[in-house]
Amino acid sequence: MTNAVVDVHNLEKTYGKAGERPYTALKGLNFSVAAGEFVGIMGASGSGKTTLLNMLSTLDTPTQGDVLVNGHDVTKMRGNQLADFRAQEVGFIFQDFNLLESLTAEENIGLPLALKGTASKVMDQAIQKVAATLSITDLLKKYPAQLSGGQKQRVAAARAIVHEPAILMGDEPTGALDSTSARELLDLLTTINREQHMSVLLVTHDPFSASFCQRILFIKDGQIGSELKRGDQDRKDFYQQILTELGTFSE
Amino acid sequence: MLTKLALAGVKNRRRDYLVLLAGLTMSAAIFYMFANLATNQAFIKANAVVKSASVVFGFGAVLLALITVVYIMYANSFLLSMRQHDYGLFMMLGAKRKRVGELVFLETLILGTVATAVGIGLGILASKFLVGFLLDQLGLHLSHLTSFYLPAIGFTAVLYIGLFILASLFNLTRLMRTTVQQLLHADQQANQPKVRPVRQFIAGVVGILLVAAGYWAMASIESLQLTAIPLALVTITIGTYLIFHATVLAVIRGLRRTGWAHRHLNGFLLGQLNFRVHDYTRMLTIVSLLFAMALGAITVGSGYHRQMPMTADSLGSYTVAVHDVNAHQRALIKQLHVAHQATYTQKVVGKTTYYNATELQAQPFELAKPIQSTGGRAKFYTQSLKTFKKDGATRIDFMVLNPRKLGDFTTPKILSARAFRQLKGQTYRVTTVRIKHMQDDLKVLAQLDRSEQKRFPAADGGALTVGTYQSYQLMNGIFGGLEFIGYFLGIAFLAMLASCLMFKILSGAPGDLRRYAMLNKVGVRRGLMRGNLAKEIGILFAIPGIMGIVDVLFGLQMFKPLMAAPMSPYLGIGTTFLIFIGLYVIYYLITLGLYLNLVMPSETRQD
Repeated sequence: MTNAVVDVHNLEKTYGKAGERPYTALKGLNFSVAAGEFVGIMGASGSGKTTLLNMLSTLDTPTQGDVLVNGHDVTKMRGNQLADFRAQEVGFIFQDFNLLESLTAEENIGLPLALKGTASKVMDQAIQKVAATLSITDLLKKYPAQLSGGQKQRVAAARAIVHEPAILMGDEPTGALDSTSARELLDLLTTINREQHMSVLLVTHDPFSASFCQRILFIKDGQIGSELKRGDQDRKDFYQQILTELGTFSE
Repeated sequence: MLTKLALAGVKNRRRDYLVLLAGLTMSAAIFYMFANLATNQAFIKANAVVKSASVVFGFGAVLLALITVVYIMYANSFLLSMRQHDYGLFMMLGAKRKRVGELVFLETLILGTVATAVGIGLGILASKFLVGFLLDQLGLHLSHLTSFYLPAIGFTAVLYIGLFILASLFNLTRLMRTTVQQLLHADQQANQPKVRPVRQFIAGVVGILLVAAGYWAMASIESLQLTAIPLALVTITIGTYLIFHATVLAVIRGLRRTGWAHRHLNGFLLGQLNFRVHDYTRMLTIVSLLFAMALGAITVGSGYHRQMPMTADSLGSYTVAVHDVNAHQRALIKQLHVAHQATYTQKVVGKTTYYNATELQAQPFELAKPIQSTGGRAKFYTQSLKTFKKDGATRIDFMVLNPRKLGDFTTPKILSARAFRQLKGQTYRVTTVRIKHMQDDLKVLAQLDRSEQKRFPAADGGALTVGTYQSYQLMNGIFGGLEFIGYFLGIAFLAMLASCLMFKILSGAPGDLRRYAMLNKVGVRRGLMRGNLAKEIGILFAIPGIMGIVDVLFGLQMFKPLMAAPMSPYLGIGTTFLIFIGLYVIYYLITLGLYLNLVMPSETRQD
């Protein structure tokens, strides 16, 4: 696939040092994400979701296999290349927000741009723009401690997309949010995906969150067990389909 | 079971505990070394030099004890910051508060006892080698200096164990009053300091005024006498606190608005400082004062020692006096740069020494003008025989020319030539030599002095002989002792203040660990993170350092009356400052190394 933003080929990850009993978390995984796609990865706890995301985001090294993100072979990168790759090509949203509490919302959002050495005027414009998209303009001067969970996650989302990365990765981003905030965030992610054509990869075990995706990959015991496509379906119907799939999948 | 869990927790954080233990051990070792010097009676009695400085020692011991209290407080908060999450977890799992309390108490106490025991052992070793080395370097020989001294061991143990019991109790009450939730999430709370511009402005102005008052007090020590010292201590402490409180935050806030803050990690750096400095204000104040005291002690001590020879020439009217010069001594005198030389015949009857008036008329005995009237330069004059009989002959310089030196003697008598000739008694010929600059001839003078001492041993009572060379030797000893104490106190203060700062900074590590893990995920280069940490900790070290240097520069005014004219407390301070700053930088690097170890996220890939 030429327009793939993520291309994973025969990915394997085994934990455990020499002499210990090894544990294989991922066993020869193959999949790809096309540019502009909104893909969900689902699976039970311990199925290898987070391991996979860590491989994709270069926070961990695969034992075997290739991972191409936006044309870069991340398994071959070293040292600063890795950091730069994370800073430029990927945007992250985490379950526990990962905002720096010593910085204001504005400074948190600006961080990826500051790392690139962007001029402060350009930075301010970019922050204003992304803040408007996520309706957090009035929160910019506040510190994380003064924000609610939903507000924090929107700030985190703003930080993840302010530098226009190739792909936005979310690791259970709604995990710590109430249902209203979760829905708001997912709506925002959908909008960003649709309007800015940004690829989104969402790791979750929550069927509601997953129902916002266009395509869902189910991981079981370190392999892709099955795949669901939303097609033209209504989100609510897709949600039902996911529930049914989960019902049969885990049997 | 809980004990096992606690032990496992300790094991998992071996490295952190090692840092803590090492710091406490070092502090106990330093304290022991000092206590050994300060309390060892045999040593103090045997050394005249130390006796005169026992006040300094006492003052130093009190200061050292105070620092130790502060030090253990910070070390303890470091310990608590490491453990509170575990304790919270135990309680969440259903452990009784009382049981956890016992654990906390025991853990603190065991750690303290181990540190004290090891520290005393180390202190004994260090006393043996380090103190000897330092004394050697200063050319001092102190007798009865033992490294093992039981009362000092007792003193150190009682102080340290007592403090640790207090710390344990403090931890206990802290724990009993904190909820489980707070314990579990203690390092996730970020309190943003509130800014009240008007109040801060007032605080800043008052702070500057107070510090200025303190500096003024030190400079006018002559009129204020001893009240200057406590006055300066109080005003400078409060003033420094207010200045830090008012300015540092304002500067950081100002910088945060500039474009510079938007580059790389600068914004993060400022954010970190903003939220730390507030919490650190008190700490930085204490450290800046300790820094000043340590640097001041070293500067004054070594300044005295170094500048001593400058005043040596004006200490008396002749450099050496030699009785019945022999051939060897004559050869030595020839090598000197002589400014004035005179020879007088003496006759000794009983305790009285007699002089010939004709000789004194022909070769009047030189007298030294008091330095206060000459602006520090050595000046000499003579008196008419008539005045001399009443005045000059009763001066110590002339009196000690008798062969018994400072031993048992009475006022010398001056007789007419005839009466002198008829007098029966043992006859000596004394030659007084004054040289141009003592520093030029120190080696020859030492030889001359030694041979004279051998031929005419001083009477039982006094080890003193005569001449400015002797006075110089004596003062050299006293000021050398002062220099030694200055260095010792200085290094001890430095070690403790830097460790205080180190622990305070290290106790922030658990929170920073999370922050840097986040930065790593977001894609910050490791080099950039390291650089940021170096800057952050560097600034926290630099603030009290700079303030301390300013304090010393003004504080040295206090010693102006003591170090009159040719001497100056400011002379040659450059080298002293450089050495001191060098040591401080080493501390900074150690702290930074430890911090990097604690905080930097592990490499994701093996390169």
